[in-house]
Amino acid sequence: MTAASLPLDSHGDVDQLYIETRELRLQGFLLFLVSDCVLFASFIFAYLYMRNSGQGWPPPGIQRLDVAFAAWNSVVLFGSGATMHYALENFKHGNFMRYIWFLLATIVLGAGFLGGQAYEYTHLIFGEHVTWWGSGIFGASFFTLTGMHGLHVFIGVCYLTVLVLQSAAGVYTRGKFFGITAGTLYWHFVDVIWVVLFSIFYLI
Amino acid sequence: MNAALIERLGAVIAGIVVAVVAFYALYKDWRATGVENQVFKLMLFLLGIGAILALLAGLNVVGFAPKGA
Repeated sequence: MTAASLPLDSHGDVDQLYIETRELRLQGFLLFLVSDCVLFASFIFAYLYMRNSGQGWPPPGIQRLDVAFAAWNSVVLFGSGATMHYALENFKHGNFMRYIWFLLATIVLGAGFLGGQAYEYTHLIFGEHVTWWGSGIFGASFFTLTGMHGLHVFIGVCYLTVLVLQSAAGVYTRGKFFGITAGTLYWHFVDVIWVVLFSIFYLI
Repeated sequence: MNAALIERLGAVIAGIVVAVVAFYALYKDWRATGVENQVFKLMLFLLGIGAILALLAGLNVVGFAPKGA
């Protein structure tokens, strides 16, 4: 980091605390993501174990999930990962308005994914009578895992909305933007988890 | 044209776009150093893989294809 790009505090001095703690914050945030990975992994392995210990999958009386809609909805979420990446890149290069537009696009795509998931849930619950509580292991594992992921996406959308408001208020500078980096890491994490969930529920 | 076909078409087209963007971003960032950039590279790679999976699902190459879809 050059002297010219060092972040300044409210008094106009170099924000020494930020510089000294940035690596620690990054490590702390990565540890949080690892712990979230462990949480998802435990549920995923439990699902795979139960799936392989039964006789056939999905269980009798339950149809296979709609791959076409899931593929479309997945691409919406993966697209939001790409826009988030370019939001961060534009912020790093000082293109503030492009950063805001890419961030807004990410929020819209994330909300679109949640809308798609709500549509799928509605179709499953009311159309095919697959529920969390009444469809055995299949319903329980599907709604638990995708619901937990959906909760993460919802939290991410809220986080990104806060980022837009903070950015508009001038909280982040070109040398001090850990919040945006953390938001990008979190959003990529949510994308990657969906790659796994999409594969195990819809493709195999 | 039924809804499933439109969804598959959307998944294929958008899947190609997202995969190209993800791998291009990975290519551009390939020489970047530091912990966060290494994590970004890993996640961009997995994002590209996910986009390819969605694209293949849209093409009926992977996943279950119901009759008439």
